[in-house]
Amino acid sequence: MRILIVEDDAEAGAAMVRGLSEAGNTVTHVADGAEGLKTAEAGEFDVLVVDRMMPKLDGLSMVEALRRHGDQTPVLFLSALGEIEDRVTGLKAGGDDYLVKPYAFAELIARVEALARRRETGSVQTTLRVGDLEMDLIARAVRRDGKEIDLQPREFQLLEFLMRHAGQSVTRTMLLEKVWEYHFDPQTNVIDVHISRLRSKIDKGFDRAMLQTVRGAGYRLEV
Amino acid sequence: MRLPAIFRTNTFRLTLLFLALFAAAAAAFLGYIYLMTAGEISRLADASIAKEIQTLDAVYAKGGVPALRATMIERTAIDQPYIYLLLDESGRRIWGTVPDVPVGQSDERNIVWTHFKMAEAAPDGSRQSRLARGERQRLSGGEILFVGEDIGETESYVAKIVRALWGAGVLVVVLGLAGGILVSRNVSRSISGLNAVVGAVQGGDLRARAGLRGAGDEFEELAIGLNDMLDRLERSIGSLRHAGDAIAHDLRSPLTRLRTRLEVAMLEVEAGKSDPKAALAQALEDAEGVLRTFTAVLSISRLQAAGSAPDQRPFDPSQLAADVAELYEPLCEDQGLDFKAEMSPGLTVKGNREFLAQALANLLDNAVKYTPTGGAVMLRVRRRSSGEVEFSVTDTGPGVPDGERERVVERFVRLENSRNQPGAGLGLPLVAAVAEAHGGRLELDEGPGKVGEMGPGLRVALILPRVG
Repeated sequence: MRILIVEDDAEAGAAMVRGLSEAGNTVTHVADGAEGLKTAEAGEFDVLVVDRMMPKLDGLSMVEALRRHGDQTPVLFLSALGEIEDRVTGLKAGGDDYLVKPYAFAELIARVEALARRRETGSVQTTLRVGDLEMDLIARAVRRDGKEIDLQPREFQLLEFLMRHAGQSVTRTMLLEKVWEYHFDPQTNVIDVHISRLRSKIDKGFDRAMLQTVRGAGYRLEV
Repeated sequence: MRLPAIFRTNTFRLTLLFLALFAAAAAAFLGYIYLMTAGEISRLADASIAKEIQTLDAVYAKGGVPALRATMIERTAIDQPYIYLLLDESGRRIWGTVPDVPVGQSDERNIVWTHFKMAEAAPDGSRQSRLARGERQRLSGGEILFVGEDIGETESYVAKIVRALWGAGVLVVVLGLAGGILVSRNVSRSISGLNAVVGAVQGGDLRARAGLRGAGDEFEELAIGLNDMLDRLERSIGSLRHAGDAIAHDLRSPLTRLRTRLEVAMLEVEAGKSDPKAALAQALEDAEGVLRTFTAVLSISRLQAAGSAPDQRPFDPSQLAADVAELYEPLCEDQGLDFKAEMSPGLTVKGNREFLAQALANLLDNAVKYTPTGGAVMLRVRRRSSGEVEFSVTDTGPGVPDGERERVVERFVRLENSRNQPGAGLGLPLVAAVAEAHGGRLELDEGPGKVGEMGPGLRVALILPRVG
């Protein structure tokens, strides 16, 4: 993946470059919004990681300008401003996701990957298929290896999200945000219990466990 | 030319305008008084003279000069106030109450008004000239008859009225001007007090306040409003500063802990006693804890500083509780707890969904953490008889002793029996902050009482004010 990082904090930028490169991506780093806008428009990137507060041109204005010019490259905003209103302004300005500083590195990588993936599957799908797992989005039915699996509505949503991001790590925070739409971290492992329930439904009785726990990050639905 | 400051005030200009209007009204009023008094006196006098001439003319027509003369004498004797003078055709005096009057020799038969001086012997013998007003008429036989009236007193009376009216006019203008200056100065003084406060605040002195004179007028109201506004401003700046101090204080200890742990780990790694990876993992976990604490402290401080939660909208509390219950139900089951959720449909609360969801999540987190396996947790939404809406979480855990219930809502307070549980002591304080930011409150009570081997339990209620 080609990733552009627009971040004025040199140290944070360098750390991101190292981490994302190690995960197998091609990473470019610029230090201000004006430079970021130029670089983003000149090159082909899969994901932009943009800090909200920067000198010269702030992240919001940069992304707004980019969207006005018709560039639809997915944008992940990084910000120290974590209130709900801040998220909303970020998403309104054309951001696709919003990560509040300080964040865990696993969280950043998971979200960048999720954004890049979303772009690949642009068309509207009616069926999701991962390995022998099949989800009919219209009939709201799930089958594995032809065997019907009965899911609660929330479990269905959870599995849908995991299937849309199959092969990628998704964090607990991402699940809480995208499936439950809460933006706070509960102190206890509520998500883990939901995952284990889902796991028991889709993996029990099959040789291969599809829903994996990724240490220090979250979960992954294996392809 | 620049006028003195007092004359440039808006109030003074307004006063001038009102003064002009008032003077015009006064002039009209005084003019009317003049017409109705002085004018009326002259008219009455003239009318009575005309009537007297008519009477005398009639006497003359019947009995000629002798009858006329007799009548005039008779009327003078009964103290009629008239002046009589009868002249023959050539202007010689026949009879009269005054010796000689410059009446002219005109032949006109018409009634002519004339003013003349009347000489009268004063008691001390000197001759005085008095103003009189009379009418001359040539009679049918050619004689000239004068009937007049001493109007000296009337005239001086009218003159007095006119003088009084002028005086009144001047008084109106002078008093009006003086009043204008007084009012302007008064207003300027009141305003300048307020201006001084605004200036001081602009200069950075947030403690400046407008002085109150206890007049209870609109300037007083403005001053009270200004002071009130400054009080609020000062309070909110103060609470922001307090929030900053609190965050600094709250983070210092966990950061110090982290640092100590890293130092110890480094020493141990150097001595070859420990695995650097384990130390790093431990440090990472500590940092995670610090960040969680930071986020929680920041949320609490922001809510407290803001005074009221942002983005409040009306919604169904049971819907919210059902969503949160759905999130926690599997966890309870996993922990061997009997979970129940009791909703009351059709209620409405006004609030920030996200904050309230987090508050309920914190309450359920606590209940799950402290209730031993086999216990029960209940989430309930109900409307109190007062109209308030109550979210409550009840558990069958060890509960909180009566004396400690106030304390557990404070930040970083952790009871003795909870030390072995994860957490930083910020869960309940955040719930309390959320309740307060919605104009509500938090109530801690004993739970359902001893259940088997379990403690008295705890019931925490988040109460929101009624909507509307």
